[in-house]
Parts: sequence; C-alpha cells; structure tokens
Amino acid sequence: MVTATRTERVMGALPMPVLMIGKPQIQTMGSVRLNDVLTEQPGLVVVPQVNGLGNGIQLQGLNPDYTLILMDGEPIIGRFTGSLELSRIAVGNIKQIEIVKGPSSSLYGSDALAGVINIITDRPEGTKGSVSARYATFNTLDLNADFGFKKDRLGVYTFLNRYRTDGYDLSPQSFGKTVAPFSNYTFNTKITYQFTPAADLSVSVRRFEERQTFGFEVQNAGARIRTFGEGTTGDWNVNTVFTQRFSTRSKMIGRLYATRYHTATWLNRESDGAPYYTDYFQQTFLRPEANAEWFLNDKNMLTLGAGAIRESVQTSRYGDDAERFQFTYYGFFQHEWTPTGKLSVISGGRLDHNSIYGSQFSPKLSARYEVSPKVALKVSSGVGFKAPDFRQVYFNFLNAAGGYSVLGTEVAPARLTELDAAGQIQAYFFDPATLGKLQAERSWSVNAGASVNMSARLQGEINLFHNSIDNLIETQAVAITTNNQTLYSYRNIARAFTQGVEANLSYALFKHWSLAGGYQLLFAKDKDVLEQVRDGNVFYRDPATLVTQRLARREYVGLYNRSRHMGNIKLFYLNPATGWEGSIRLVYRGRYGVGALQGNIQGENIPPSDSNSNGVLDRFDSFVRGYGLVNVAVGKTIRETLRVQLGVDNVFNHTEPVFIPNLPGRLLYISGRYQFQQKSKPKNP
Amino acid sequence: MKYLFSALLLFFTATAFMSCDEETPLQPVVSQTIRDLNADYAPLVFNPAGPPTRPGETGKFTLFSFKTGEIVPNTELATTKWDIGFRATSIIFNSGSSGPGIVVGQIQNGIFDEVNEAPEAGYASDNALATPPQFVISPSPQIPGAAALTNQWWRNGGSTTSTIVTPIAGRIIFVRTGDNRFVKMEILSYYKGAPAAPNNVNDPDRHYTFRYVYQPNEGRSFR
Repeated sequence: MVTATRTERVMGALPMPVLMIGKPQIQTMGSVRLNDVLTEQPGLVVVPQVNGLGNGIQLQGLNPDYTLILMDGEPIIGRFTGSLELSRIAVGNIKQIEIVKGPSSSLYGSDALAGVINIITDRPEGTKGSVSARYATFNTLDLNADFGFKKDRLGVYTFLNRYRTDGYDLSPQSFGKTVAPFSNYTFNTKITYQFTPAADLSVSVRRFEERQTFGFEVQNAGARIRTFGEGTTGDWNVNTVFTQRFSTRSKMIGRLYATRYHTATWLNRESDGAPYYTDYFQQTFLRPEANAEWFLNDKNMLTLGAGAIRESVQTSRYGDDAERFQFTYYGFFQHEWTPTGKLSVISGGRLDHNSIYGSQFSPKLSARYEVSPKVALKVSSGVGFKAPDFRQVYFNFLNAAGGYSVLGTEVAPARLTELDAAGQIQAYFFDPATLGKLQAERSWSVNAGASVNMSARLQGEINLFHNSIDNLIETQAVAITTNNQTLYSYRNIARAFTQGVEANLSYALFKHWSLAGGYQLLFAKDKDVLEQVRDGNVFYRDPATLVTQRLARREYVGLYNRSRHMGNIKLFYLNPATGWEGSIRLVYRGRYGVGALQGNIQGENIPPSDSNSNGVLDRFDSFVRGYGLVNVAVGKTIRETLRVQLGVDNVFNHTEPVFIPNLPGRLLYISGRYQFQQKSKPKNP
Repeated sequence: MKYLFSALLLFFTATAFMSCDEETPLQPVVSQTIRDLNADYAPLVFNPAGPPTRPGETGKFTLFSFKTGEIVPNTELATTKWDIGFRATSIIFNSGSSGPGIVVGQIQNGIFDEVNEAPEAGYASDNALATPPQFVISPSPQIPGAAALTNQWWRNGGSTTSTIVTPIAGRIIFVRTGDNRFVKMEILSYYKGAPAAPNNVNDPDRHYTFRYVYQPNEGRSFR
C-alpha cells in the first residue's frame, strides 16, 4: 500500500508515476543511510550541494530544492542552499520509501515541484525487536536496535541508531579530508493508542544529533589559512496524529507536527588558535492540520483539509540574531472518481496563502485507464511551486574574504543605500529599487505513461515527462563596491524545462532470481539560453585555434549537472528456504557538465565545463565522464533470527576527487543482525 | 554582340580603376594579430593575511596605435599618438576622461570574420568622472543573469576563489580613430602564450592576445 494520494492505495492503481522501495530491498542492498538507497533508483541522482559537500536528490532533472522530503507525511526541515542532506536519515526503521514523480503541490504545498519522497517508518506491530551492527571501510560503524510491542490498545515502537565514520580523503595532497570524521545518533519512538475501535492516537518523536570535527584550509583572497573546528547538526520532531472514524464511509484526521533543526560551526586558525569563523542556523516548523475523507458512494471519494504553518529562522547569516517568521494558511481538496472499474480520475487543488509570497493555487488532474488486463495508461498534469526561502529574502552577510556578497531581497535596498552613503559603491549593475518582492517559483508538468504486465514474470513501465519551470530565482548582480566586491541579490529571472522518458522493466528470470532495469533519458535546458541560441547570439571560441563561431541549436547541451542518460541493472537472488540472498547492482550515470560553483572543500580549483568562452554548456565543452558503479552483496539468514551480510559498494573503486566529492572509493562491509519475534498467541483456543 | 558587351565592360572597369587611382591611392586593409601585449603584468605575491598584491605593478596603461600597429610609450599618454590602452582588465580609448584625442569605441555581439562593416553610430568615450564611472568597455566581468549589459568583454571562467579572465566569445570591439578610420578587434586571450586552458599558477595574466582589422581608407567597410 502506498500513500501517494494521502490515502492508502494499492500502488499499481495510482494514476501517477510512483516508485516504492520496501524494507526487503533496502536490506538486500545493505544500505544504512537514505542516500545509499536513493542513489540506486532509476531517475534519481544524488548530487552534492553547491559547495561540493553533502547529498541532495535530483529528480526528473530538477535540483534538490524542488523535491519535498517527508517523514510519515510531514516535511523534514533544515536545508543548506536548498538541499536537504539525505545522510541525516538512517534507514533502519524505514518500512518503505515512496517516490512520487511530478508536482504534488496540490496536496503538499511548497517544494513539491519535482515530486515528493515520503519515508514511512515502522509502527508497532506485535512484540518484536532486533539488534544489528555493520562495520565498513573508513572505520565506519553503524549500530541499530529496535523494539516494539503491541498489547491490547497500546503499541510502542522504539528505534536507536548510532553511526560513526572516519570520513575519507580523496585528495591526500591537500590539507584536511574530503569528508571529515563525524558521528551521529538517531532516536525514534512511536506510541499508538486505541481509545475506541473508531478512534486512535499516534505520537511519534524523533531526535537526531550529529557532530563533525574537521580541519581544512580556507581560501581567503588567495591566502590559504589552515583551520580546525567542529560542526554540530541536529533535529527533533513530534508528530501527533488523531484519527476518528465516524462510519465505514467517513473519517477525520487531526495532525499536529512540530520540528526544529539546528546547525552550528566554529573554526579556529591553526597557527594561533584564534577564532576564525562561527556560524549558526536554527529553524522551526509548526503545523496543525485537519482533514476529512468521505466515500460519498461507491464511485466517489472526497478528501478535504485545511491547516496552518508557522516557520521561523534565527541565524548569524542574516546580520543579526533576530528570529524571523513566516505564516502559511492552506486548504486543499481531492476528489477520486471511479466511474467504471477501468477508469479512475483524481482531481485536486490546494490554495496556500503565505505572509511573504502571497497566494498560490496548485491544481492537479490525473487519470488511469485500463485498456486491457495487461495494459494501463496513466496521465497526470499539475502545477507545483516552491516558495522563496528565508535565505533569499533575509540573507545579509557581507563576505569580506570571498570577494562577493549576497543580500536577501528584503535587506538589499537598505543595505545598498547604507553602503552608497558611506561611498563604498563603485558602480551599479542593476537598479536596486526594481528588485521588488520575490514570487514563488512555479512549474507546470505533464506525465504520461503506460504500465504493461506482459506476463506474470515480466512487467514494464514507461513514463514521459515534461516540466516547465518559470520564475526561477537566481542571483542578480546588483553593484560592485570600491574594493571590487560584487554584491548580489535575488530575482525571479530564469526559465527552464526538463523533459524525458523513464522506463523500468522487471523480469523474474528463474526461481529465486529476478532482474530489474531502469533507464532515464533527460533533456534539461534554460529557455532563455535556448532563445539566444535560436537567435544566433551565442558564440564559442575554439580554445586551441582561437577562432569564434556561432553555436548551433543542436550543439547547446543544456543545464549543468544533468546527465542525458542514466540507468541501472540489478540482479537479485532470494531463496527463503535456504536463507541465502544476494544482489549485483550496476548504476550508470552518463556524462555531464559542471558549472563554476561546484567544487570540493579541499581548496582545489574546479575547472568548469565551459571551456570555450560562452558561459553555456555546449558539445565542445569538457564534461565529467560518465561512470558506472558496481555494488554487490551476499547475505544469509539463519533460522529466521540471525542474518549475516557481506558486501562491496563501488567494486571497481571509481572516484572523481574534484567533481564527485560525495563518491568515496570502494567500500567493504560486514553486518550482522539478530531479530526476535514473539509468535502471536491464538486468542481463546 | 556578346564580345562587344564584354569588351565594353572591361573598358569601363579599367577606367573606373584608373580614375580612382588618380584621386587617392587605396591602401591595403591591415589584418593583424598582436600576441602577448603586456598590460602591466607583475607577479602576484600572496600575503598570510589579506588579499594578494602585485608590488611590481606600475599602474600605467600600455598604449597602442592601430595605424602603426605598434605600442606607444606611456610617456605619450597626453598625446593623440595612441588609440587604445590596456591595463589589467581595463581598456580605455583616447578621448573623454581617458585621453586628449577623439578616439571612440563600442562593443557588439557577432562573428569577427562575418562583420564587414563598422556600425555608423553608437560610439562613445570614457567618462571616469561620472558616478558611477562609465567606460565604453567595462573592466568588470560579465555576470550570469545580467544579460542586458553588453559592455563587458570577459567572464570569470574559473571559480569564486580563483578568477580566470576568459574573453567572451563573439564580442567585437569597434573603434573610430582620431583621423576617422574604423577598426574591428577581438580579444582572444588574457594569458601569456594564449594557452587553451589557462591557470593562475603557471600562466602569467595581463597579457593580451587580440586580432584586429584596420581600414586605412575612408569608409566603414572592412573589405
């Protein structure tokens, strides 16, 4: 069962492209963090953030900013430059991961522009528990324990995880490590209580704390300063859900979700121990929501909901320590109509009103039609949006060392007037008075596809997608100071599209053996650049001959960090009788270009892909070469209680130190898991 | 009949040429590439605290005359002997606030070899005294998202912490010299030896490689 429409449905019956990853698959892959799982899925790329660190998710060619990540239906907060660090999520208590492709703002509001990843965690189900440990390369130790019981009306489930690693160093010639040593703890407990057969309550509490110690070289206008320091990151959340069923035809759900994220960094100079840099960021999110579901009759189901969000941010990056707020009020509806057994139509919409960007209406319409018992067609179209984030509105941090500074749209005009009065502005590139208020970034998308069950053993799925995104917020150079620092702010300027095809195939080879494959073809282009190319206004200079020529339309490749081709092939073996299991997975990512900002933390200069002086990625530029990763794992379960697993990720030790800092080399691991389960006693024998 | 026509045509063409030669003798159009023009290069010195400096720099422009195709000594700055000057990423024309002459310029998009005629209008002088200072050619890099600005000649082809001055492909600089002659020029490289992939460690910057076509005769055509 999946919850992609907020109500539980059999996955195949949904009219939009949905990918479901269950616990068995996560275990067979030997994954321990969310990024390990997602990196092997078709159409998903785990990409580092702009500073070269971390792991965000690229879905249908859209940046990590545009995918909403939920845990049990509630958003995980704490993004760095728009990207949510996937390794914050331990997978030990994940029951399943549902990935909805295509905009889902009609249900979830802001950020669900490319799609939604919903992580469903374990719930109390009988009396059971487990302990497990995994030891891997780089002195990485992952420890898990969970325990749950359900008795009469009360259910409790608790999960604990500790992860620590020495990190890794892809550029030993540079000071510091690519990923510095860190350790973290995750605690999650869920309590369910049934008041009456028609009313139940679920309370879930999560806490995550991470500490990282690093030493790296900071580049300060050409000078290299060695530093050491520490970073802490953490989040907690409390998720309360109360469900009341009025009859078999209707129910009401009340939810209250509160979460807080915090991160802090300090760096001291190695030479004299003097403080060099400190930084902190705190974010809170509070949301009450109520929704109701009615089966009007056998053919019509209606969901109505409304809620409010209070968000706050407090950080050293906004020039003062003031806490800043934004409020959102929203309402949504969804109508599921099944006029015949073969056709189902879901229509819905959501209206958000926000204190910063105003109102947004996000409709969505999807339909599924069974042509024959073997073939079903799916079409969905909708609008997605992403609200300007706090950083784009309030950022106020003059980076004296970096040679440039960024100012949020709320603070830019006043700050520029102030600098101008002090005689520090050399020239304006852009009239700061016309910066104006930021609007939400918007997309309009279509997904159309078919799923085909050729036989009981062979299933295929194909989906064509097109996402057209307008109002993209980008940095706008506003002025240059007398000491040659460029001052930037933000504007809704860019327009882009991503489109392509995704195809998946699964085939049961023989008994116990199954084969799965996925492929994505992607075109992602900047609409304005495309127009300029069409008008013959984009040129390139051959770096060797220095001859300038006009760029033809077919020579424009598109946006940076997008691979035209990517895919995977996975072979699984599972024999429940003997307890043996195993897998070989090949994940391929085709060549792609990198922009100027992508880099690695160790201070190396990143050669941008654009090597022919036009600022546009074209086929004459240099690319990060395509690569394939091979991961293998073998496991055995003994008497349904003990499971031992051995595995190697990245067997051929592929690394790309400068361009792919989030790809460590070969990773060997061994893990053991002991689980116990009380056999459910038959009642009143 | 056919022969007669050809003969007549030959006759007219011949007389046309002869009459022209009699008035002003046509000089050949000069197409030149200047390599590694030093624009106040001095090695960078890195400081433990604060930005790097260039203690060896003079702060003076390297001046150039299109007519002679030669560098003009900087001592002639107050004369009209030079047309264009280079210092780091700054480019000046001999007029306005930059010099006593009447040399004006402008920058356009296009392909150097395809452009056979200089624009009739749109030429301007530097005005360093304006607030903000206005130069015909901006010394600053072109910034992504600032497409409306067309008077930049380079973009940062490196990173935020290590700038690489990359002349923008398809930028043509047009110049009208003091004696009303037209020039089209294209900057090809900012690094000594015009390496294909320059880097700040091995390749000295502030070395211009550019090509230009100077029309020594009257008119805007470069043919």
